[in-house]
Amino acid sequence: MPAPHARPQAEDAQLVERLYRDETGDAMRALYRLYGGELYGFTLNAVGDRGSAEEIVQEVFLRAWRHSASYDPGRAAVRTWLYQIARNAIIDTRRRAAVRPGLSQHDTPAEAEGGATLEQAMLGWQVAAALERLTPEHRQMIRMAQFRGLTMREIADHTGLPLGTVKSRTWYALRSLRLVLEEMGVTPS
Amino acid sequence: MTCTQVREQLGGYVLGALDPAEREAVAEHLASCPACAAEHARIAGLPALLEHAEGLEIPAAPRAVEERVLDQIAHERGVERHARRRRRALLPSLGRGRALLAAAVAGAALGAAVTAIALDDDPPGRPPSYELALRGSGGASAQAKLTPGHGGTEVHLWVKGLPPGGEAVYEVRCERPGWSASAGTFRTDARGRAYVVLTTAARLGEYERIRVVRRPDENLVLSGELQ
Repeated sequence: MPAPHARPQAEDAQLVERLYRDETGDAMRALYRLYGGELYGFTLNAVGDRGSAEEIVQEVFLRAWRHSASYDPGRAAVRTWLYQIARNAIIDTRRRAAVRPGLSQHDTPAEAEGGATLEQAMLGWQVAAALERLTPEHRQMIRMAQFRGLTMREIADHTGLPLGTVKSRTWYALRSLRLVLEEMGVTPS
Repeated sequence: MTCTQVREQLGGYVLGALDPAEREAVAEHLASCPACAAEHARIAGLPALLEHAEGLEIPAAPRAVEERVLDQIAHERGVERHARRRRRALLPSLGRGRALLAAAVAGAALGAAVTAIALDDDPPGRPPSYELALRGSGGASAQAKLTPGHGGTEVHLWVKGLPPGGEAVYEVRCERPGWSASAGTFRTDARGRAYVVLTTAARLGEYERIRVVRRPDENLVLSGELQ
């Protein structure tokens, strides 16, 4: 069974350590390409418009660059650290918008959808990122069973795979997901 | 049911995707087998976590943001170096170092006070970049960094204080009396700010001022002069 693509946290921590001194921009590019997508998704979901989301993500990576010396790998994974910066940047943006009446009426989708908190959203995006690291076969099993509500038998019918394969693949998929989440510092309660 | 058989059912079990009879058989086994129960416990919390991720698709990271981050870092590094060198230069001998092009003149259009400085952190042998402040009415202002490139000038422009958002399109022009070359257009964000990187065919030396006009009415909103 192929191993999930878990990324050692130490590599990310080294990237952050290089960030400020690196004049080539390579460390920042690498960090952005690793986390830019999910942070953009998280931010866009929270603020609701692309322009503001892009501005916030830009601010997140600039803050990470400016404050990279204060990053402590013993306290949080790089992903967690970046999400915290993004969360703070989103809150700053909302506060600024709230003092300007013209923009305060703009409800964000996350708030509009029954009060999902930023923390829950952060968790959701990290789990979505973990799913991305699984093999397509594993991801497919989890999506079909969890998100589409299909039974093992229905998945077997749908995919043409033997029922035994569907069951064992789902089991390995969940084990892989658990491993990736542990790597990311996210653990089920 | 053997432990091996149960383990392979555990995925479907925690996701609620087994038939009722299978589910019951697994539950019975778990109640009496601590090893399988421990395996079950390792993944039992996953469905609750997965619920948070439903419907979320990781989008591509916007490339423009990556470039803006790198540009801004380069800009801040440049400003920091410049400040350091200026501090050093001002210490014992005021005349030390490369004479910088620094001039404050009254801009014709909007009574603009303009300063152009050659950034002295450029490596030797490369033409220097120039920084130029643009001023406008109603608190609008901009900072432009002009770098000679192949066949023209690259213009980095940081704008603030323009009317927020909206559909207004602004054009950046490099001009001298009777002559004008466009460097391109931009829009502002929800806070009336913009950061853009534009390229014009105009070469440094061919123009003496930069003006930003609103399209299509050609209203002048920002202006700055090179000296």
